[in-house]
Amino acid sequence: MKSSYLRAGAALACAAALSACGGSSGELLLGGVYSGVTKAGLVLTNGDGNRLEIPPVAGGNGTGNFYFNELVGTDDEYDVKVAGTPDNVSGCEVVNGKGRAAFNITSVQVLCTFKKHALKGSVANLKGDGLELVNGSDRVVVPAGATEFTLAEVPEDAAYGVAVLKQPSSGQTCTVANGSGTMGKNDITNVAITCAP
Amino acid sequence: MKSFLIRPALALALAAGLAGCGGSDKAEFTVGGTIYTLAYPGLQLSTNGTTIDVAPPAKAGDPVKFAFPNKLEYGDEYNVQIVKQPAHQRCDLASSYPTNADTAGRLALIDVQYSCVINTFTIGGTISGLTVAGLVLTNGSTGGTVTPAKDATSYVFSLPVAYNQTYGVTVLTQPAGLTCSVANPTNTMGDANVTNINVSCVPNR
Repeated sequence: MKSSYLRAGAALACAAALSACGGSSGELLLGGVYSGVTKAGLVLTNGDGNRLEIPPVAGGNGTGNFYFNELVGTDDEYDVKVAGTPDNVSGCEVVNGKGRAAFNITSVQVLCTFKKHALKGSVANLKGDGLELVNGSDRVVVPAGATEFTLAEVPEDAAYGVAVLKQPSSGQTCTVANGSGTMGKNDITNVAITCAP
Repeated sequence: MKSFLIRPALALALAAGLAGCGGSDKAEFTVGGTIYTLAYPGLQLSTNGTTIDVAPPAKAGDPVKFAFPNKLEYGDEYNVQIVKQPAHQRCDLASSYPTNADTAGRLALIDVQYSCVINTFTIGGTISGLTVAGLVLTNGSTGGTVTPAKDATSYVFSLPVAYNQTYGVTVLTQPAGLTCSVANPTNTMGDANVTNINVSCVPNR
């Protein structure tokens, strides 16, 4: 009788001791930086275990720091993987994601690449050379007689704004219609340049 | 006869030996260094009373080596200073070590490192007639957006524009009931803040 109590007690103590060594216990941070996150959807895992959802920072530039909520133990192996991506990126790459913990890990990089779409439109009645259009720091020269133009591709969900940097040498004045907007899931093709007279 | 020949030979040997210890063999140090991402002319550096001009590299992006013509002796102190920044750029020490000021001979090679960045300037202007909130201006796809508050009379984009880059400010979102237009919306950035991208808003008819 006594020995069976003892045995049960010993088993209990043993279980308690073992559970203390379980997955969530640790003392080291696991994290780093991310970029290209302007929408919810990025999910990271450490191996097949701990899971972390990274929400976008409102008004931010898509970059930030992340740390898994669960700490990792000294000498534990870690392997940060991407389990889900926001729908406006073509993919997310993990750099320095794998190793064995010896101290706080802050060097993991998760780099997401935005999907990009074309920004182009039509040109009407352009009789001279020298017309230059810009979308911020991106510039395109449009020759006489052109009927269309193409600017650099724009990341999905980013704003764009096409404006005339230089009017053509023909003395004409060209104006932009539908010049501003936010890039959706498809190419923008409706920017219209009309030159007069 | 024999001693007559030996004496001059000894003197000669002595002289040669002494010359070996003379000034010409004294350690000399050249103060030099490397400048990264220098793109425009005009940079002047000085140390120990000498000023040199440093030109940008023949191939854009290459680092530029410089060396002061005046040699220093062991123990001389040097202190390299930027006398004049290049046009359109600002150069700073690339790191706190190796430093620009030290004693010649402490390091085997004096290689002071600078890196240069293109100057950036803000863009903005005045606003009139903005009686409601909701106006959003954008500078293309990479220049960021700005959302002036109701009754604002001026605005500045938080992201600056680098020298020689273009900018183009357009209305991304019109405020309810108003139509805002932008004057002087585009240009190529010069060497000063731009404050004439003025926005005027009028009620819709």
